[in-house]
Amino acid sequence: MKKTALYALLLLVITLILPLFLSSYGIFLTTEIYIMAVFAMSLGLIMGYAGLVSLGHAAFFGIGAYTVAILGDYVGNTYVLLICAILLSALIAFISGYFFIRVSQFYFLMITLAFGQLLYALIWQLKPITGGADGRSVSPVLNFGWGNLLDPVHIYYVTAVLFVLVYFILRLFVHSPLGQTIKGVMENESRMKMLGYNADAYKLVAYTFSGAVAGVAGAIYAYYNVFVSPELVAWLFSGQVLVMVIVGGMGTLLGPAVGAGFFVLLQNYMSTYTERWMLIMGIIFIFFVIVGRGGLIHLVMAIWERIKPGHKRSAKKEINQSESGGIT
Amino acid sequence: MSLLTVKGVSKSFGKLEILKQVDLDVQPEERHVIIGPNGAGKTTLFNCITGVLPIDAGQVVMDGHDLTSLPPYQRAKHGLSRTFQKNNLFLELTVEKNVALAVLSRKGYRHNMFRPLESYSDVFEEAHQLLDEWGLLDRKDLLVNQLSYGEQRLLEILLALALKPRLLLLDEPTSGMSPAETQQTIQFIRRLPRSVALLVVEHDMDVVFAIADRITVLHHGQVFASGTPEEVKGNAQVTEIYFGGGALKDA
Repeated sequence: MKKTALYALLLLVITLILPLFLSSYGIFLTTEIYIMAVFAMSLGLIMGYAGLVSLGHAAFFGIGAYTVAILGDYVGNTYVLLICAILLSALIAFISGYFFIRVSQFYFLMITLAFGQLLYALIWQLKPITGGADGRSVSPVLNFGWGNLLDPVHIYYVTAVLFVLVYFILRLFVHSPLGQTIKGVMENESRMKMLGYNADAYKLVAYTFSGAVAGVAGAIYAYYNVFVSPELVAWLFSGQVLVMVIVGGMGTLLGPAVGAGFFVLLQNYMSTYTERWMLIMGIIFIFFVIVGRGGLIHLVMAIWERIKPGHKRSAKKEINQSESGGIT
Repeated sequence: MSLLTVKGVSKSFGKLEILKQVDLDVQPEERHVIIGPNGAGKTTLFNCITGVLPIDAGQVVMDGHDLTSLPPYQRAKHGLSRTFQKNNLFLELTVEKNVALAVLSRKGYRHNMFRPLESYSDVFEEAHQLLDEWGLLDRKDLLVNQLSYGEQRLLEILLALALKPRLLLLDEPTSGMSPAETQQTIQFIRRLPRSVALLVVEHDMDVVFAIADRITVLHHGQVFASGTPEEVKGNAQVTEIYFGGGALKDA
């Protein structure tokens, strides 16, 4: 518990002082990383803790973003818009999940992909409301009650707070009885049913929760980008966040966030040198799938274990730690 | 009144009739063993009782409650618990966590989402108590796949027992065990509190006669005979058709 508080403090201090050292482009980029990290953590939650691999998760990100964009024409209050974005993405995750979670593995992947594309087509078609293929601008401005937040540094802090908040909420969630039960369902569904757990209901809770988190990431993204387009729900984006989760490290909470940071940085810096940056991302992805199953976060942890001053942990302790979710 | 009543249960896979009009009951505190050759439908019957497989016809009633159309997790809430023929455990979790997940199933706070499971000491106390009672407490921090096969088999029973069931279904509890482990398991089963009724599928005749109050012989998906161990032993037809003659006399 003491260690958690220490980490929390460290994380908070880093995020607070980071803008002092960053260029304005750096701040812009870090803001995007925080948003993508929240999105990746939402997918990481269902992939690593509920065993649900979705190829349509951008749908919920897009619902969040479009809710702010469309409803923002009529309502200005940030709280109302954010709550609407969360509720709507959660509701649609709940309804779609109700049907989707009944199918397993490969079929789940395909049906979520189809769902995402369905939404993509819908946004494309509803041009008067959504702006169609051209996308549309976002008119509301972030305002939590102490003035309009227009400065990139302000938006940086909003996303930083969101990231830290979501991380700790997810952390609480995965360690709670409910979260542990969901993980149990992932580990062994047939046994959990025999132990009196309604496996489908638990998966649906995880899926809905994950959809809501993706929705809030999308909502903040709409404010940050001041523009939304159908690409936000397209399968390419869903695929990208899947890559973030896998490269970052599935089965942990921070892994997907690390993957998101890695992805955004690579995308921005490599694309200044070559248009074929996806090729490099592809090679890295293949490397992590074949060789480094645990992803970047485990690589980072392994290096940290070596350079860390002081005590060394025994192998046995490490097994227990990773089991109880020590690296999250 | 009987604890479990299975009335006219039939189950087919395509044209293959696995169970034909099976009638079976388990009395409170009874230890009822089902025997029968491979393919007699024993495991299918278990799956039909626990709701893993839907039945084509018939009824499963537990203590006056009709369970026939209930999903497995709701049957568990009526006091029905089972083990699996092949170990069906949480291999990636510690022994302690395995039992804790089973204990948690009975707790009212199992849906709490903002407090760590570790902070609910009563779950772990109960899990430790159970592990201690059955001699696995010193293994609590190991992962399940670090246990010996016999220990895993025992944990399989412990998980089912942690639900505090009124009826425990054991699917071949000694399958794949060494003779020594089998002897140990017989002792374990005999030690189970009488308040838990048992319905057991078992091949090993030593085990069957060591634990059974009543034996039902299943043959080609039908109840062929049912009675006390002595009656079944003395049934010439059972000996003739099922045991191939003579086998029972040695047992």
